[in-house]
Amino acid sequence: MSTQIRTQISNSILLAIVINIVYAKAIGVTQGAIARQVGADMWIVTILSILFALLMMWVVVIIIKRTPEKNILEQSKVLFGAWGEKIFSALFFLFFLGAYGGVMITIVYHLMDYFLPDVPTAIFIIATTGVGLYGLSKGIEVIGRFAVLGLFSISILNILILFGSLDNFHVHHFFPVMQNNLWSNLQATSHHNSDWAMAILMVAILLPMVKQKEKWNKYTQKSVLIGGGLILMWPLLQVGTLSPEVTGQYIISCMQMARSAEIGLFVHRYELIMIVFFSISALVQVMSCLICASISAKHVVGAKNINKLYIPTALLLGGFGYWIVDDHMRAMHYLEDYWPILSMSIIIGITVLVLLFGTIFKRKLVQRKGK
Amino acid sequence: MRIIPIISIIFFVLVTLTGCLGKEEISDLALVTAVGIDKGEQENILITAQIARPAEARGDAGAGGGTGEPMWTAIAEGKTIFEAIRNLARFSSRRVYWGHNMVIVISEEIAEDGIVDVIDFFTRNNELRMRTWILVTEEKARDLIPVKTGIEVLPGESIDHLFRYSPIVAEAPKSDAMSLSMGYLREYTHPYLALVNLKSRGIAEGEDMPEFGNLPQAELSGTALFRDDKMVGKLKDRESRGFLWFIGEVETAIIPIEFPEGDGNASIELRDNSFQLTPKYENGEVSFDITLETVADLVELGVPTGKSYDELFTLLEPILEDYIQEDIEMLLNKLQQEYQLDSIGLATYFRAKFPQYWDDVKDDWDELFPDMAIVVNVSAEITNPQLFRLPTKPVKE
Repeated sequence: MSTQIRTQISNSILLAIVINIVYAKAIGVTQGAIARQVGADMWIVTILSILFALLMMWVVVIIIKRTPEKNILEQSKVLFGAWGEKIFSALFFLFFLGAYGGVMITIVYHLMDYFLPDVPTAIFIIATTGVGLYGLSKGIEVIGRFAVLGLFSISILNILILFGSLDNFHVHHFFPVMQNNLWSNLQATSHHNSDWAMAILMVAILLPMVKQKEKWNKYTQKSVLIGGGLILMWPLLQVGTLSPEVTGQYIISCMQMARSAEIGLFVHRYELIMIVFFSISALVQVMSCLICASISAKHVVGAKNINKLYIPTALLLGGFGYWIVDDHMRAMHYLEDYWPILSMSIIIGITVLVLLFGTIFKRKLVQRKGK
Repeated sequence: MRIIPIISIIFFVLVTLTGCLGKEEISDLALVTAVGIDKGEQENILITAQIARPAEARGDAGAGGGTGEPMWTAIAEGKTIFEAIRNLARFSSRRVYWGHNMVIVISEEIAEDGIVDVIDFFTRNNELRMRTWILVTEEKARDLIPVKTGIEVLPGESIDHLFRYSPIVAEAPKSDAMSLSMGYLREYTHPYLALVNLKSRGIAEGEDMPEFGNLPQAELSGTALFRDDKMVGKLKDRESRGFLWFIGEVETAIIPIEFPEGDGNASIELRDNSFQLTPKYENGEVSFDITLETVADLVELGVPTGKSYDELFTLLEPILEDYIQEDIEMLLNKLQQEYQLDSIGLATYFRAKFPQYWDDVKDDWDELFPDMAIVVNVSAEITNPQLFRLPTKPVKE
């Protein structure tokens, strides 16, 4: 195991990373996609997704607690053998590769569409992936501390947007509640579920690095609830202030919120405020994707030293990210039509399989515990 | 471990180079503060852009050896708004920048033909603020845009201040890019915009003085109503005030009323208002109840009277209630009988309360709307005579 794996972080740091990894994409790109599908029910869909995340997080903690020193990929080796481990790791790598596309869509379109339309797309990809690599080289502890800073930034952004939008908040935009049937709303959860999937699969990899395993369940549930609360404020404000129709018109709907917010005469046009405060969260997403993809790659190739995999992983993820964001239409089709299906299949498929086989072959796990 | 310094160097170079890309020097920008949209020749769009000269606009006319003019107004034509703006660049020495635009004025002629291009262009443009005011004028927008109104240096700023600092008039909605986009995109709503026109209200010394002044000023009063993106009607001042209740924009308003005893008038200022719209659906009939409650102050009494304030308030409250009710009924009459247009969004209120019956009526809503029973109940309470304990009346009487 690498030096990163042996590193220990606290439950609070994990909580901060989980919130950051979900937030940046969930408040804008995801909400726009949900608004296009279910209109004013977007806030209900967000709540349903938070419930999904609570359940999946609980399942993942149960799985990892069976062999607390092994992450889900190492546990799959015990359950399914070396090839099982490789297949699962490849699926994890595929997941974080796909997630990186969504992360890049979020970051690049925020910056390029609203501030720097003349700057080549590659510059954004190289710069953010470069920062991600730098974070990666410093290890998960530093990323975690960075995420704590990100949590403060997220809170400040939420407070500013709240005060900047309340003047134009219309309660009647929410009615009738449940305009769509429950099934339609559940189908729309796949967009936000795929955001949470990133956090849940990251926890499945990083949890053995977290101290005090008796608090794992409490802190992971807490992270979903706090993160969910911080995210939920956005669809509520987007419905009340922008209306679901306007929210759905834009690719980055949170920037539209930022563009419309104002406090008095002198604090208005929050686009830059938004970028300043959400960028840490976005960079934590980049770093977390890179670290999880690198760990997955290590299990695929059976490498001893993870450090050598950082750059190839970053090149692969960055290359894919560039290909996705270079064409807006391709990016949106990918994000709305393919990514939710792919991510849901991987997270549900893997967790259910490992949970089931872990229950059936409990003795096998107990025998190998600690080995 | 050599990889870390290499990455650091690459990162440093990238960051510093990125700083050079997409840079905008403020001295290279033509800061648009107001824009007018008219019909040009051969169905073209005519854009009138009012561009600020920051050095002169700061207040010291002629400072820094400039021309002394705080603004430069120019026109350009094109088949689309974008083409017209691009054509503006043919003779503008600086890049046209929309980030500080405060006002978009659309001529009535353009509004009647449809404004979907205006909505699309200005909400898609990432430089423009979503809180940019959008108005309709009965005049040519090119005539209105350069007119210096009020005491501000820039005309665009004057119109911006008209919206911000005159809620007391309550005769025009605060229509901006956000509300226009929402009104157009939302199901079962129609857009509306404030009306602005030139009136000779200013006074220039040393010139012949007609009855109302000799300097044209931009006056904000009235509402332009749209069906989808086409302007179909207008509301005058009192109808507009009735309209503002429905869109939740009456914070305060001055109501002038005739004093019933003696020759004179009184002014009442509405302070604390509550407006409730309750949809009803009985025997297949759609109807609405409006309950409006207001707490007001007496701010002017032009009649000497021996009555106490308690007696005065009891006397004035029903008159105030009738006046407000009349505002709303004038509006409803115009919308239901003349325009047959649900600009006040009754459909959204009905759908919110009775989603189960909405499918029964939604296709016929436009036909049902003119005959819908809308009952208005106004209740007014005057509680504050402002400073005075006794009405203004000489003791010698």
